[in-house]
Amino acid sequence: MAVYRRGYQRYQGPLTGYWARFLVAPRFAWERLFQQRQVVILLVGAMIWPLFCAVFIYLANHSELWAGLGGGFKNFLEVNGKFFLVFMNAQAVFAVLLAALAGPGLIASDLANNALPLYFSRPMSRPDYVLARLLVLIGMLSLVTWIPGAALFFMQVGMAGRGWFSENWRLGVGVVAGFLIWVLIVSLVALACSAYVRWRVVAGGLVLGFFFVLGGVAKMVNTVFRVEWGSVLSPTAAMYQIWCDMLDVETPLGLNTAECIGTLVVLGVLLVVVLERKLRPVEVIS
Amino acid sequence: MTATISFRARQACTIARVELRRAFFSKRSFWVYLLALFPAVVFIGHGIEAKIDRQRWSAKGFTPAALLDGIKQGETSEAVRGRLGTPVSDEKWDHRRRVLREGSGKDSEPRVWEEKREQRRRLTYFDGRRRADLWFENGVLRSKSIRPLLNLEEDRQVFAGLFQYFYLRLAIFFGCLGIFMNLFRGDMLDKTLHFWFLAPIRREVLLLGKYAAGLVAAVVIFTGGALLCFAAMLWPHDPGEVQVYWQASGLSHAFWYAAAAALGCVGYGSVFLAAGLLLRNPIVPAATLLLWEAINGFLPATLQKVSVLYYLQSLCPIPAPMDNSAPAFIRMLLSPAEPASHFWSVAGLLALTALVLVVAARASRRIEISYSTE
Amino acid sequence: MTTAEVIFDDISKFYGEVLGVNRVSLRIPPGITSLVGPNGSGKTTLMNLLTGLILPDRGSISVLGVSPRDPETMMRFTGYATQYDAAPRWATGFEFITTGLLLFGCSRAEAEEKAWKALEWVSMTEAAHRKVAAYSKGMRQRVRLAQAIAHNPQVLVLDEPLNGLDPLVRAETIALFRAWAAEGRHVILSSHVLQEVDVISDQVILIANGMIVAEGEIRGVREEIHDHPSQFVIRCRDASRIAALLFNEDHVTEIKLNDDRQGMLVLTKDREQFARALSRIALAGHEIDGVVPADENVDALYEYLIGGGR
Repeated sequence: MAVYRRGYQRYQGPLTGYWARFLVAPRFAWERLFQQRQVVILLVGAMIWPLFCAVFIYLANHSELWAGLGGGFKNFLEVNGKFFLVFMNAQAVFAVLLAALAGPGLIASDLANNALPLYFSRPMSRPDYVLARLLVLIGMLSLVTWIPGAALFFMQVGMAGRGWFSENWRLGVGVVAGFLIWVLIVSLVALACSAYVRWRVVAGGLVLGFFFVLGGVAKMVNTVFRVEWGSVLSPTAAMYQIWCDMLDVETPLGLNTAECIGTLVVLGVLLVVVLERKLRPVEVIS
Repeated sequence: MTATISFRARQACTIARVELRRAFFSKRSFWVYLLALFPAVVFIGHGIEAKIDRQRWSAKGFTPAALLDGIKQGETSEAVRGRLGTPVSDEKWDHRRRVLREGSGKDSEPRVWEEKREQRRRLTYFDGRRRADLWFENGVLRSKSIRPLLNLEEDRQVFAGLFQYFYLRLAIFFGCLGIFMNLFRGDMLDKTLHFWFLAPIRREVLLLGKYAAGLVAAVVIFTGGALLCFAAMLWPHDPGEVQVYWQASGLSHAFWYAAAAALGCVGYGSVFLAAGLLLRNPIVPAATLLLWEAINGFLPATLQKVSVLYYLQSLCPIPAPMDNSAPAFIRMLLSPAEPASHFWSVAGLLALTALVLVVAARASRRIEISYSTE
Repeated sequence: MTTAEVIFDDISKFYGEVLGVNRVSLRIPPGITSLVGPNGSGKTTLMNLLTGLILPDRGSISVLGVSPRDPETMMRFTGYATQYDAAPRWATGFEFITTGLLLFGCSRAEAEEKAWKALEWVSMTEAAHRKVAAYSKGMRQRVRLAQAIAHNPQVLVLDEPLNGLDPLVRAETIALFRAWAAEGRHVILSSHVLQEVDVISDQVILIANGMIVAEGEIRGVREEIHDHPSQFVIRCRDASRIAALLFNEDHVTEIKLNDDRQGMLVLTKDREQFARALSRIALAGHEIDGVVPADENVDALYEYLIGGGR
């Protein structure tokens, strides 16, 4: 018998559809992420603040429970833009920590183990791969950002009534949209760091350092030039300004929202460029 | 051949020479240059801006200083322009924001939002030395700021803050984290550490050689960066003013800033080198150390002394200005300990470094090659 | 140096809960010694232990009287070509070897001279100034070998040294090993190519599942294996007659006659009785052209002792 007649046969079973193919990678990645104890602990920790906020909303809508505590307390217990801004600030920190913990392992280990050729030798393009990795992070960060945010908003709507909703629907949109922008930026930063540094642990540190150092740089520019626009260099400050605008809260930063949006767009493009340059299926030896 | 101290020193030099090339020129250390040189770039930018403004505004003529000092809150923009003449800069823009309509939202009234438009304007005048920035809201002066175009005293304060908050707490900390952790962990990642382990050298000599390379690189980059930044800070100022400052205390300030940067590299470098050897995941101790150094100012005086930052700050010639944007209660909690003397600062840091290096040397003897687990 | 042997004394090494090697005791004399065993059997672990790259959890190792915990002394007379496929990224082949030699205390001129000589040994002078990262697999193998021998070591440890080498370089390399062993040095190597091990080794160490299965000269090891009959190929003119005579012997279990009737394969349970029987047959006037053992090779030892692990 000729050797070729004993060769392997091509897989004949059903194929994952073209549009759903990039979902294969996240499915297994999520599974692996939730097996990490640190990720689970951080996820649980990230739910504490939303729980406090839920209690706050409950109290704000049950004035009979604190009737004797005076007007000052009433002003304090108000569910408004400021309330959601404080909530978003706290959850944003958890999102960064989670991204620093879970993000680097997504690409760094593929690069370190030369696994990219394996991915790209299958019907999966580089954009598919990035999208798949991005989905892993966006999915996980959503659990601590816009999902609890939307839950709190609808809890307030449920307790305060339709009138409150018609007056404040912008808050709900602001929370979800604001968080989605932040989640996208943080995920891109985590993936870019992961692609830039092949050592997973250092990539995690770099994600944290990125936000720390850019904050410092922004402050430095403001101090040396005696201006306020330097804050746009910090993604955290730029995001804060956009959130303030979305939630109709006065901001102390004195920034222009359009410039902040521009900064985040430029940052996003730069991060995509880093990913494009680093995710090559072959090692180039110089 | 019996190994003598001079022979071992030669081995350490060979290792350091090889590692230096990597520390200075590897792609991985590129960001360290950015960290170290960015403040200098910002100060140079500030100097260029001040020089261009002075040149541009001088061409438009000066406004008498007495007129600038006479501007009062509540004046209209037209009144100011009428009295002071054409400004060197005039910017107008509209500011829009959503606010609650007056009276709505109170008691059981439903809230009604409306868009509020404000016309804002900034006029700038220049008296040849000082610039006056006047902010108007709907044509009425809301705030003003009159300050010298370039103020050496103020810039020195800014540099002091920048050095302590950016260089010491961020740049040198993260830079040393990158440089020193890369010395051993980088070799493990590249699967090349066995190259050193298969040479006839004591592990302690290897450690010292690598530490020396990291230290030279970090000191050159960060001390150089700090001094360049210091020079960039002085550059746009009046040469006479700079000379007086230089003769009075400038030289000593530059020296102590350089010393603090160098000792920062010595201290943080040893800590991160040891962390890279002792722990598989050095980010955890790094984050702990960062947190410890960050909350240092809130701790009792005795505990403040158990940190690298305390000794480095003690070496700084000008205390860092307090961050005015920090909430008042946080500023209240800050209680900086009495700074240590220069001698004790240097001695304390060197003693800490020696201790950490001894621990690292002992750890280095137990390192094994297990690349697969990296 | 108090002894001329490499000694493993009751060595155990665990990677967490995974066994590396277990209670290994060995004495390796000068000459070419091959470590043979399936993947993951512990060959590289033994070599790493010998050179101090990893430390034993139990037991002690002595390389010509020096502990691997003292690399400053031991690596002076030991060279190790690892299977890790990396020289430092910055290095050209020449720099890679020269830098190593500088650490031995050589002057730069001396280091460069020795490096050049080592590169000549492995026929790598033409690519000397190219970066190792840009070398092919075989070239990397050769430059690692050059680095291991550049300081003229007494003990040379080589992990899969013949992998990736072309036939010509392979033959030159084997010749080099032989020359070194002939000078009374230790050449300890691991290989999967059993025929080559067979040809070049003075002694073999068979290892499986982290334990030593057999050690010694190939013939000596074969003689210790009583479970499997020994195989001999006999060349003779009157094969049928000699086969009939041999069948009368109790120790002969099987005979296969060649198609040309000019020889046969004999399987015997007792090598000494077989030798005596052959003598008797020859003295009786039957012409025997030659007798060659058919399973005194590493391949057979591997098959008999490790078998299923292959």
